[in-house]
Amino acid sequence: MERTDIYSKLNEIFIDVLDLDEVELTDATSANDIEEWDSLSHIQLIVAVEKTFGIKFTSLEIMKWKNVGEMVDSILEKIK
Amino acid sequence: MVVNSISFLIFFVVVFIVYYLPICQKQPRFQNTWLLLASYFFYGYADWRMVPLLLGATLVFWLLGAWLRREMDLKHTRRASHITTLSVVLGIALLVYFKYLNFFAESFASVLQAVGFQVSWTTLNILLPIGVSFFTFKLISYVIEIHREHIQPSSDLTEFATYISFFPTILSGPIDRPNDFLPQLQRVHVLDYPLAADGCRQILWGMFTKMCIADNLATITDQAWLSYDAASSTTLLVAALLYPVQLYADFDGYSNMAIGVGKILGFNVARNFNHPFLARNMAEFWRRWHMSLTSWITDYVFMPLNIAFREMGNWGISLAAIINLLVIGFWHGANWTYGVFGLYHGLLFVPLVFSGAFGKKKKLKTGSHGLPLRKDFLKMLGTYGLVTIGLTVFRAPSISQAFSYFWALLTNGTGSSYMDSYGYLYCLFAIVLLILEWILRDREYSNPAALLHNRAFRWTLYLALILLIITFTGKSQAFIYFQF
Repeated sequence: MERTDIYSKLNEIFIDVLDLDEVELTDATSANDIEEWDSLSHIQLIVAVEKTFGIKFTSLEIMKWKNVGEMVDSILEKIK
Repeated sequence: MVVNSISFLIFFVVVFIVYYLPICQKQPRFQNTWLLLASYFFYGYADWRMVPLLLGATLVFWLLGAWLRREMDLKHTRRASHITTLSVVLGIALLVYFKYLNFFAESFASVLQAVGFQVSWTTLNILLPIGVSFFTFKLISYVIEIHREHIQPSSDLTEFATYISFFPTILSGPIDRPNDFLPQLQRVHVLDYPLAADGCRQILWGMFTKMCIADNLATITDQAWLSYDAASSTTLLVAALLYPVQLYADFDGYSNMAIGVGKILGFNVARNFNHPFLARNMAEFWRRWHMSLTSWITDYVFMPLNIAFREMGNWGISLAAIINLLVIGFWHGANWTYGVFGLYHGLLFVPLVFSGAFGKKKKLKTGSHGLPLRKDFLKMLGTYGLVTIGLTVFRAPSISQAFSYFWALLTNGTGSSYMDSYGYLYCLFAIVLLILEWILRDREYSNPAALLHNRAFRWTLYLALILLIITFTGKSQAFIYFQF
């Protein structure tokens, strides 16, 4: 799976979980850029990402992310 | 040496002059060394016996941070996790030993006695180091942030020790994070006049709320707790309703002074309060109350728990919230009242989690005539009522006395009232403070001088505040949060 494929799936997840009309995620997108993305919806996003890609993150991986790009790096590493 | 004392003023003038001497401004290290010396003098002045503990803990955590980074660079993931765990356990052990050991032992002994065993327990004579709850949290967050790769370990022990012992915040917070504070120690500070002037205004406001409002309201609430058997229900209700304002005026007052002193030295210290009584539910209240503590616990307790419980949906969030609030409760000290206070707040989160109101951050809207919307105002009143119930337990010396107070409030009916004209005046102070909170809700603190554009009016107000501080200074009381 390519990075762009992951992004198109992530866009769908974000729209669904955060109840957004549309979103265009980039490597630099962070919780500061999307009002609906708070600490609780963050957990819901993680659960949805794990289910969609059939993977499981460790707590430390999750706590390290500073932006969407780092989350995508983790996903790519897991599905390799 | 409290911040609102003459001895502090003399100390601070000396610190200020040397700190901004051209020779000190040559390198950040010179200013840091001077701040470090001043901070250890300040801490030692409060209790010199605890200086070795502060110094030892600082050195150990600095070495742990460096060791952790080395293992991370060598990709020894497992060992890095072990070092982080060891650091957290060490920090908690420090707190448990000094704050909770007697409490655990006494509680254990009373359980054994309740089931029929005869045990004799001698309370250990453990000194409670001042500020231990605050600097321990700084030490723990330093190591966790290195492990999460949010910061690099500090290569300069002077810089790290200055962060831990920074005198404006060592006794009672706000709890600064290494991510924001360490970079501030890496540059030279030249006197930033607008920031320093803002610091002075903030200190003045802090002194006013602490000395004129909190200390005077204390005379009413203390009297109610001394004589709740005989006082009228109305008096007890008024005293209970005043306590949240008293605690706020006290701790926010202290925080404003600490932040203001930091500003004069060119530092942005973490914020502690964001107009908490404008909160429309308990989740919002905790986002506005003692923020440097709650954000610390959110990052290092609530979020990891939430991640661990993520498959459990709303029940997982509720469980994480209850544990989170219990930790906040017991952080205040070794007393079951704090446990009940935490549990009560944790349980209040459950309906918010299930209704979806927990995470929503709706901005406050202004209705007609600049007043809050009716719906919002009613929610603020309801939240204030819930906060009052929790803080009555928090204020009580024991759980049984909390219940006695509530019982007296509900059943005493008519009884003696000790409110004199001064009492009503202090109530008026409290109400004015709450109104200012609304008017100045977009500001960091509620000094009404911010509303005056005319310089002469502003200076008249400063003078009036100083006169009010001198005239209405209550019986000087220690800051409530110094005990934690």
